Amino acid sequence: MLELIVLSLGLSCVTAVASLILGKARAASKTVACVGGMAAAVAGAAGGIMALFGPAVYVSLPGPMPFTDFTLLLNPLAGLLVAVIAVLAFAAWLYGLSYFDEYYDKGIGVIGFFMNLFIASMDLVILVDNAFWFLVFFELMSLTSYVLVIIDQTEKSLRGGFLYLVMAHIGFLMIALSFFTMAVSAGSLEFMDYRTCAFAPATATIAFVLAFFGFGAKAGMVPFHSWLPQAHPAAPSNVSALMSGGMIKIGIFGMLKVCFDLLGATGGQVGWGVLVIVIGAASSVLGVVYALGEHDLKSLLAYHSVENIGIILLGVGTGIYGWAAGLPWVAGIGLLAGLYHLVNHAMFKGLLFLGAGSVLHATGTRNMEVLGGLARLMPWTAACFLVGSLAISAIPPLNGFVSEWFTYQGLIGAAMEGDLFLRIVFAFAVVALAITGALAVTCFVKAFGVTFLAAPRSQAAADAHESSAPMTAAMVLLTIACVALGLGAVAVTPVVNAIGAFLTLAPELPATAGLELVSLGTASVVSPLILAVLMAVVIGACALVRNAANRRAGFKEDPAPWQCGYEPDLSMEVLASTVGANVRAFMGPLYGIRHAVNRAGQAVARLLERALSSPEDAPVSAAPAAAGAGAEGSSRYERDLRHGIAPAEEAPSALSTSVLSAVASVGRWFSRLESGDFRTYIVYIVGALVFFLALIILVR
Amino acid sequence: MTVIIAVLQAVLLVALAPLVSGIARKIRARMHSRTGASVLQDYYDLAKLWHRCEVREGPSGLVSRAMPAVYLGTMALLAAGLPLIMQACPVPLLGDIITILYLMALPRFLFSLASIDSGAAYPSIGGIRELLVGVLVEPSLMLVLFVMALAVGSTNVGVMAEAVGALSAYPAVAVVVAGVACAMACYIEMGKLPFDLAEAEQEIQEGPLAAYSGPSLAMLKLGVSVKQLVVASLFVAIFLPFGAAASLAPADLLLGLVTYLVKLAAVLLVAAVIENSVMRVRYKLLGRYTWFVVGIASLSLVFLVIGI
Repeated sequence: MLELIVLSLGLSCVTAVASLILGKARAASKTVACVGGMAAAVAGAAGGIMALFGPAVYVSLPGPMPFTDFTLLLNPLAGLLVAVIAVLAFAAWLYGLSYFDEYYDKGIGVIGFFMNLFIASMDLVILVDNAFWFLVFFELMSLTSYVLVIIDQTEKSLRGGFLYLVMAHIGFLMIALSFFTMAVSAGSLEFMDYRTCAFAPATATIAFVLAFFGFGAKAGMVPFHSWLPQAHPAAPSNVSALMSGGMIKIGIFGMLKVCFDLLGATGGQVGWGVLVIVIGAASSVLGVVYALGEHDLKSLLAYHSVENIGIILLGVGTGIYGWAAGLPWVAGIGLLAGLYHLVNHAMFKGLLFLGAGSVLHATGTRNMEVLGGLARLMPWTAACFLVGSLAISAIPPLNGFVSEWFTYQGLIGAAMEGDLFLRIVFAFAVVALAITGALAVTCFVKAFGVTFLAAPRSQAAADAHESSAPMTAAMVLLTIACVALGLGAVAVTPVVNAIGAFLTLAPELPATAGLELVSLGTASVVSPLILAVLMAVVIGACALVRNAANRRAGFKEDPAPWQCGYEPDLSMEVLASTVGANVRAFMGPLYGIRHAVNRAGQAVARLLERALSSPEDAPVSAAPAAAGAGAEGSSRYERDLRHGIAPAEEAPSALSTSVLSAVASVGRWFSRLESGDFRTYIVYIVGALVFFLALIILVR
Repeated sequence: MTVIIAVLQAVLLVALAPLVSGIARKIRARMHSRTGASVLQDYYDLAKLWHRCEVREGPSGLVSRAMPAVYLGTMALLAAGLPLIMQACPVPLLGDIITILYLMALPRFLFSLASIDSGAAYPSIGGIRELLVGVLVEPSLMLVLFVMALAVGSTNVGVMAEAVGALSAYPAVAVVVAGVACAMACYIEMGKLPFDLAEAEQEIQEGPLAAYSGPSLAMLKLGVSVKQLVVASLFVAIFLPFGAAASLAPADLLLGLVTYLVKLAAVLLVAAVIENSVMRVRYKLLGRYTWFVVGIASLSLVFLVIGI
């Protein structure tokens, strides 16, 4: 099975080079990149799925230097991640067969090259078992995806890309420091030596917290989320799907690997679980609240990634808590919930981004305010997007419901075992998840309703066309995955559950019985499959009865909707900002947090700038430009913007603003020595890191 | 056997719903010193609509078309799963609190979606408001159910009912306070004054109905009435399980049925009296009232944590 994944990696690399060489012959380059990528994905998916069931495979090849042994480890957790990314990659390439036609002028060969390398580097990050190579491939993953983010070369994408690059390196630095901390005690950069080393509790906590925030920056959790809604939407839509569905899961994978695997011999601490749960709860609520303020379909979806990472963290945090507190059932169901949601989110977020890409392809805009009425013109896209919306809103019996059900059961079960303080923490998490669930429903009613329903609000929307066959097929594939992961939960759950048991080295506790999913600690059951059958029967019966009555009495058509006596007018339709304004009326304080934090951040940034810059430098502010409605904004939207009803584009959060400013200042400070390009700065970080790592090894 | 009870419950609630709304209207009329229409008026209305021609209006499409069936069907399914006549859940896999709350989200999702689909102003705003009522009420309801789950050791509503019925739910004060919070949350969810007048088309619950006509409107009106019964029954099932059958003996079941109907009538009577004694408040003030519910639900958590 490792051979299959190596084959997949090889195919990716060969395809990457081939597509670059063929760059001038655009159609050939695109076809080679996509078909090669699909072949690599099939091999990767097969290898990953086999690894789910097989024993772990460990291979080590000597490297040029003592600390660079090339070690690969394929265990069930790695297999799951590889399989998820392969399925997404397959859908993304299939979609690209037609979608990339738009990118002929933007260097299709380059896209094919970097996207293939991006997928290969994600697989390698998952597989390598050596800190040096892990960091190298982690960096490669960030750089290749950065190129894909800025491929449009618009001001927006460059800004988003820059922010992404900076945050990725902050994360990189923290991860490197975490590995460094462990390396000092373990005496090597081999993960195998970390695994067997019993660290002092303080060392373990430092390593875990650094890794948690470092990988959290990659995963886009609050407070490191601000890059995500700017970077992900800027990439081509199938790359957005791959980034939001796949890449941010590497962050979760990293946390799990450090906590359960590398620090496994040391054991966890209850506090780690609490930290993860609190950050997860904050991420889930703030992610969805900010998503509600968006009118750009892809930005909205990107904010939902912040939300869903939060939900995954709630499960993972419950798992860490249960593991540290010696409660095997809590640990098992927490990890089951987290990992199941990881798979689910990859599927429905991938689906939704592809759907958004089809809308963009058909209408040329992502601004929901000027869309509407697309369901008639693009029925397949609309149907797939609706299933994705229901799934991400955790509506039974789809897959999102299954994993959120386990998340709730884990949190409630853990609270039953916990003391006073923990009960309050878990109550907070449960309420946060409930708020998130209700807001997610609101947000996806808005996303689907405003985009696809009612009447078209612009000529572009009225002229929309259904996507081509490959694009539709890719969406249908992921739709089937969403439905199957929901209805087939009794088949999937034991596999995911076994990974949890594998991570905690505990005996596997049953989570299914017959056709039912069971939660032992809370004595409850649910069965998505039976639920689906019951819903189909009851709802179907209601529909049949109603239709029979309709047939007897007949229909009349009336083209104008009833406006309670007013003259019908397109401006009476609901817009995204209508929903946003209503939510803001009740959730104002949560948006207020962002403003307050931004102001504080800008103050800090100015301070840093003043401290670091010499007087002759012109002050450069990293404050963002005001939202540009530009050509794509409708007149009504522009009016709303003037009146302050429409949401302005988010300013980068405090953290990123201050960091951006600091980077700019440091860059200017260095400019007396060097060219002053921020890339130099990044080279410094990476170079210094490799130097220090080499130094440790040599000194020993 | 229990499956028959489940089906019976669903049929009972759907059949009774128009009667209940008819009685509620009668009570309002009497409190306004009017004679009012017959308590059976809602049955007449539904029958009349059922034979009317349906108007497909505006830009609305398949979502609008499917919504009434989904709404009524889901509500009937929820009615089947609650422990109403007997203390245990007739169908255990429908009795988990998370399943119940998320199953309730499906009709809400499509209800609001259909309102946007109509392309008309009143229905759309009503649909959005319906969603926001959910956003404001659901967290409190979840917190209450969290407290109950910890008090009885299960997330299954049937287990909660049995524990409360046997007075073995611990700690008792927390359970009582949770009951108060749950009653308030359910009352808001039912769509009654002071926030909502469920019979006016400019209102939250009825607004989206403005786009419907004929048999679809009849089915949706029925669905909205059933929803009120389901929400009231959820409260009755968890916090007033007294008298519900503990075994499957026919005498017990009959007693359970009778006591359930009496309890439901009492709860609805109280709701109707409250509804008609308060004035209308602006929708924007809903947040203040729900904060009060959040406060009481949090209080029950505090009592739970300190164990009284």
